Amino acid sequence: MTNYIIRRLLLNVLVLWVVASLVFVATHALPGDFAEKRVAASFELTNQEEAIKFARKELGLDKPLWHQYVVFMGELARGDLGTSYETNRSTWSELKERVPTTLELGGLIVLVSFGLAIPIGVISAVKQNTWIDFALRTFSIFGVSAPVFVVAILLSLFVVKTGIFEIDIVGSPHFWSDPVGAAKLYAIPALAGGLSGGAATMRILRSQMLEVMRQDYIRTARAKGLNDRKVWMRHAMKNAMLPVLTIMGLTVGGIVSGQIILEQMFNIQGVGRFVFQSLNNRDFPPFQGTVLVIGFVIVSVNLAVDLIYAWVDPRIRYT
Amino acid sequence: MASIDQQQVDLSSAIYGQFGQTATHWRRVRAFLRFTKRNKLGALGLGLVTVILFFGIFAPWLQRYGALQSFQQANPEFNPTASPFDIAANPDKALSSPFILDRWKSPLSSEHWLGTDANGQDIYARLVVGTRLAIIIGVGASAIAVSLGTIVGIFSGYFGGKFDLVVQRFVDAIQAFPGLVLLLLIVSVMEKPNLAITVVALGFLGFASSVRIVRSSVLSVSQAAFIEAARSYGATDIRLMLRHILPNIASAVLVIFSISIGVYILSEASLSFLGLGPADKTTWGKMVNAGRQSVDLHPWESLLAGGAITLTVLGFNLAGDAIRDELDPRLRGR
Repeated sequence: MTNYIIRRLLLNVLVLWVVASLVFVATHALPGDFAEKRVAASFELTNQEEAIKFARKELGLDKPLWHQYVVFMGELARGDLGTSYETNRSTWSELKERVPTTLELGGLIVLVSFGLAIPIGVISAVKQNTWIDFALRTFSIFGVSAPVFVVAILLSLFVVKTGIFEIDIVGSPHFWSDPVGAAKLYAIPALAGGLSGGAATMRILRSQMLEVMRQDYIRTARAKGLNDRKVWMRHAMKNAMLPVLTIMGLTVGGIVSGQIILEQMFNIQGVGRFVFQSLNNRDFPPFQGTVLVIGFVIVSVNLAVDLIYAWVDPRIRYT
Repeated sequence: MASIDQQQVDLSSAIYGQFGQTATHWRRVRAFLRFTKRNKLGALGLGLVTVILFFGIFAPWLQRYGALQSFQQANPEFNPTASPFDIAANPDKALSSPFILDRWKSPLSSEHWLGTDANGQDIYARLVVGTRLAIIIGVGASAIAVSLGTIVGIFSGYFGGKFDLVVQRFVDAIQAFPGLVLLLLIVSVMEKPNLAITVVALGFLGFASSVRIVRSSVLSVSQAAFIEAARSYGATDIRLMLRHILPNIASAVLVIFSISIGVYILSEASLSFLGLGPADKTTWGKMVNAGRQSVDLHPWESLLAGGAITLTVLGFNLAGDAIRDELDPRLRGR
């Protein structure tokens, strides 16, 4: 087991190295760099060429590509994610401000998605082929098909038209400083993101439940006189959750993608919005650093899921 | 049950016996009817896909205006080139300025079936034009992803070894990206991404997961006895891959192809919504974003375009599920 974990960790380092190289190559293939953008912004400059050259030199963009790559990797190895061209602050300190916001929203999205997916998946399987099942399946397939931003627009339209509460998208409240404001701000994105993130899980949980219900041990459980509720909860659901766990690990990437859109829509100053903005500004170091951090989170979650898998299901042994 | 079907088939061929061709036609129609009865959601999906394909293929003949033509019926004195100075000089005609004039028109009029948007462009025409794009993007990206994925997946699964290892780590790396970040990155490489770049970027994104699936089915097929038999007859590697492995994983490939079309349409909509879709085209994602600016007063543009995306993706998802169920009967009804 320890060997397996060590091997997986080494493998993850390899994967992250490939991610870092991919990001490096792609960002340096982008037309136009930050130097051009900054010089173009100041009209009073008479000698544009000189200014661009000077700015490139200042930012270290005049060096050959391999040199920049070695510098980039060297910084990474020391845990330095680079410094923003725009604000001249290190990526870590930029992230430090934004990670709490993103974790708040991301946590809510995960809560909503599992809160919806688990009961809906189980009920839909228990009531197979009834109108409840049909309605829940329709709901989940619409959840898979509707883009997250359309759901968000529908929800905000509903909130605005009925006037349940007012959404303030100017400030950036946190749950510890302004819980009411934060709840109002996060309610719609969390619901929309959770619905989109959880819809696939609903469908898989339902089909897993149906699969498990045909197993012999369920018949045994019934035969020894357990009531339906116990059979469903103690015997069926526990076994059906295993493959669902994998899917939950895989949806993390989807949730991050959804968060980029939702943070952009609702002006939430989180990591997703930061990634998008820094790419738009051609502000490479924070972009590369943040993508690596996100990649690290996704890879770690997948490793954690695999380990939990072995812990939950004693039949699985990694060597 | 099977015997009853058999009887009915025999009956129909007895009736239509003299028209042999008609009998097989009739059998196909009846097989399709049985399918619609067995798999209602799948039939709904196929119906939706048919409607979407119809609109996509006949797009130029199904609308009168084109995507970019704007209208001035709301105000005959509308002057699209009026500048703020003209308005200041002529304040009583201020309404005719492009800066002030509200060119939204409500849906359900005979001129503009679904109304017009903020630029006075016909929403129905734009939706129809967007249909063709959505289909090109979904089918094109899926075809690229699946064909690349099949080639690499077969090689990787068949030969194994170092090549397999490199491919797998590369696939791992792509899957460690959140899809949208990777897409944003690829699309940003071009200043103004056109349709082809968007399709290729989406295809590249999906390539990783199709390599995974193809590789695992190749691995299971490679163990089969008939592969061993063919090899002992002296079949070359290429022959084994093309004539023996490929036909046996064809249904898996078809399933990936059909199931992922909806995903690509959805991803492209997200890109367009963020303003990074194909630059010179009218897409549904762009329409949703444009309508969002005044969604509380004029909700229809966002809602109609969003509805179009949802129904299209729904149709392709349901049809893909139905194809999977038909090809892999173990999953039927679940």
